[in-house]
Amino acid sequence: MSRTTSKKRLLGWLADAALILYFIFALFPIAWMVILSLKPTNELFSTYFSFSPTLDGYRTVLGDSEGIPFVRFFVNSLVVSLGAVALSLLVGLPAAYASARWRFKGSENLMFTLLSFRFAPELTVIIPLFVLYQKLGLFDTYVGMIWVLQLVTLPLIVWIMRSYFADLTPELEQAALLDGYSRKQAFFKVAIPLVKPGIAAVSLLAFIFAWNNFVFPLILTSNEAQTVTVGALSFLGGDRPKYNLTAAAALVSVVPPLLLALTIQRYLVRGLSFGAVKS
Amino acid sequence: MDMHAHDRRRFLALTAAAAATPLLAACGAGFGGDDDKSDGSAADDVTGSFDWKREKGTTVKALLNKHPYTDALIADLKSFTEKTGIKVEYDVFPEDNYFDKLTVDLSSGRASYDVFMLGAYMVWQYGPPGWLEDLGPWMRNSSATGADWDQADFFPNLLQADQWSLKAGAPLGQGGQYALPWGWETNVVAYNTDVFKKLGLKPAETFDELRDIARTIKQKAPGAGFDGMYGIAVRGSRSWATIHPGFMTMYARNGLKDFTVEGGKLTPAMNTPKAVAFTEDWAGMVKQGGPPSWTSYTWYQCSSDLGAKKAGMLFDADTAAYFQAVEGASPASGKIAFHPGPKGPDGSLATNMWIWSLGMNAKSKKKSASWLFLQWATGKEHLLKSAITHNHIDPVRKSIADDAAYKNKMNNLPGFIETFEAVVDQTKIQFTPQAQFFDATTSWASALQEIYGGQGAGSVLDGLAGDLADKVG
Repeated sequence: MSRTTSKKRLLGWLADAALILYFIFALFPIAWMVILSLKPTNELFSTYFSFSPTLDGYRTVLGDSEGIPFVRFFVNSLVVSLGAVALSLLVGLPAAYASARWRFKGSENLMFTLLSFRFAPELTVIIPLFVLYQKLGLFDTYVGMIWVLQLVTLPLIVWIMRSYFADLTPELEQAALLDGYSRKQAFFKVAIPLVKPGIAAVSLLAFIFAWNNFVFPLILTSNEAQTVTVGALSFLGGDRPKYNLTAAAALVSVVPPLLLALTIQRYLVRGLSFGAVKS
Repeated sequence: MDMHAHDRRRFLALTAAAAATPLLAACGAGFGGDDDKSDGSAADDVTGSFDWKREKGTTVKALLNKHPYTDALIADLKSFTEKTGIKVEYDVFPEDNYFDKLTVDLSSGRASYDVFMLGAYMVWQYGPPGWLEDLGPWMRNSSATGADWDQADFFPNLLQADQWSLKAGAPLGQGGQYALPWGWETNVVAYNTDVFKKLGLKPAETFDELRDIARTIKQKAPGAGFDGMYGIAVRGSRSWATIHPGFMTMYARNGLKDFTVEGGKLTPAMNTPKAVAFTEDWAGMVKQGGPPSWTSYTWYQCSSDLGAKKAGMLFDADTAAYFQAVEGASPASGKIAFHPGPKGPDGSLATNMWIWSLGMNAKSKKKSASWLFLQWATGKEHLLKSAITHNHIDPVRKSIADDAAYKNKMNNLPGFIETFEAVVDQTKIQFTPQAQFFDATTSWASALQEIYGGQGAGSVLDGLAGDLADKVG
């Protein structure tokens, strides 16, 4: 065996070892949460890894025995996050397409205004929103939450999809127009299928952002439309911190984004690298 | 409990509220301008003989914090509805964000909640803008208040804690009654009886003894079969909540003040030579007998460490120890005892407290029904039931503290009743009331961390006093 080959192999092992170490480091918080969620309350603060594992934490979280309707909060999160993404796609895809294909007076200003919704801290607008929502009857409703989450999801979808549409060569749609398609047909039958990976990727991102949002559901909902991000904190309690229940609630909350990511994984990888090489 | 890391968010929310006011006025959103009489009190409208059914058919909306006291209240709401015909709808929010929710709600000027939980310190923040209903006229109106509510039965220092003239520096116990005491916590020492027995220790009667014991436990307990045990758990995070339990209690027992008030002007007093010496000693106690990562310690860590047998003592709310001490709650259950803690040089047991109180939204359109709810929730019948069948402990009423069934229940915890009785008369809000309370005490906690980190106590506290003089004075 040549010296070069041995050196390469050694470097390969070192790289693998470094990667394993990094994985341990990166995944440790997740592992810690899993351990915590399996601990009984009275063994919660032992620093040793010997404890009697139990699923009681999950039973409590999912069984409403602490008086916290976590399952309802979970369903609420699903409804408002999916609803917000669906509405943003419905409105955002045509907007992204239009902004990628046509320039008109003030179009860039309009796009930056949209982007600025993401920059503005939520707390600066929360009081006026709260008052308006109370007046309009949108407080603590699904519609209200889906609407307000447009501040989170819509700019993301428009801006990311704009770059996808911009990367599509206009000749494809022009060819479709020459073949007798209307502009709408060209959009739905030519442009949209070509950016599907992008739609998958951006939908997932938007869903995660909507799912994780904390301030809007904290202020703009009560019991009816409250989401998991706010509800999970209730398990900390006012008597003793029940970290096992909070960990179980957090892990249950991770399931939908995780499942979604796994389901659309093949689109995701393509989507994220789409447009990396231009013709 | 009372310990919320909400300061930054609260500040931002209030800033947002201030910024939003003209905008909303301009767009006709009616910000804060909905309703209500500008003169007199709605209590004056209630006439005739007292009647629990006066507001039958009304619905009252309550904002509650997730807490054992709340659980007890919710469990008994049916009794209230049966008694009055009033329905109570409620929202419960987690403790860490409860006050964010309440602050936004009140600052919006809406009457989305008629009644809510708050602490006595919050009166200093919510009272001056006019968000809280003065309950005094309701209490004084015999048509609105039943004779069995018995105001004289409350511990007077608790009622006084929620009473204020809204003037910075003015003492509590004068002016409007902006909330009613409902459940409270006194700050005392709880300790692990096993380690005390093993090391031959007795609860400290002086601050010097407390520091010695904390140091001794940290040095000797691990070798005596108490793995990783340190001496004393006290809070240390950069939050107002670090100052108010053990630290403020011991500070007050040493005869020290946060501010001196002259002619309505507040002068910071945390940098007097005595205060500097005390603060140095406190930081030294934490270094020598406290937890290793003290600067991140909130009540969660402190109480959990006592329960997990990691802390030999806890100088904090008695309820923080109580919930670890009850049977089956933690590894230290059955091995936790209570003691009033060290006396001051003159024998003082002055103690700071937290009161979960109930208040009424000044914008509520259902004040009469809300008052009936507050009256019932702070009444003898409900509170006694909650104290005995639930964990609504540290009663705000003398009759419950003296009740045989209650005492019998609490006697299972060594020293609890004796400690409560030793400090109850000297327990009060030891801070000077002023609207910048949360910012001032957060800065104080930050100064404490700097001193713990090795900086000179004198210069750090001089700096703190200088900053606060501009803000508060």
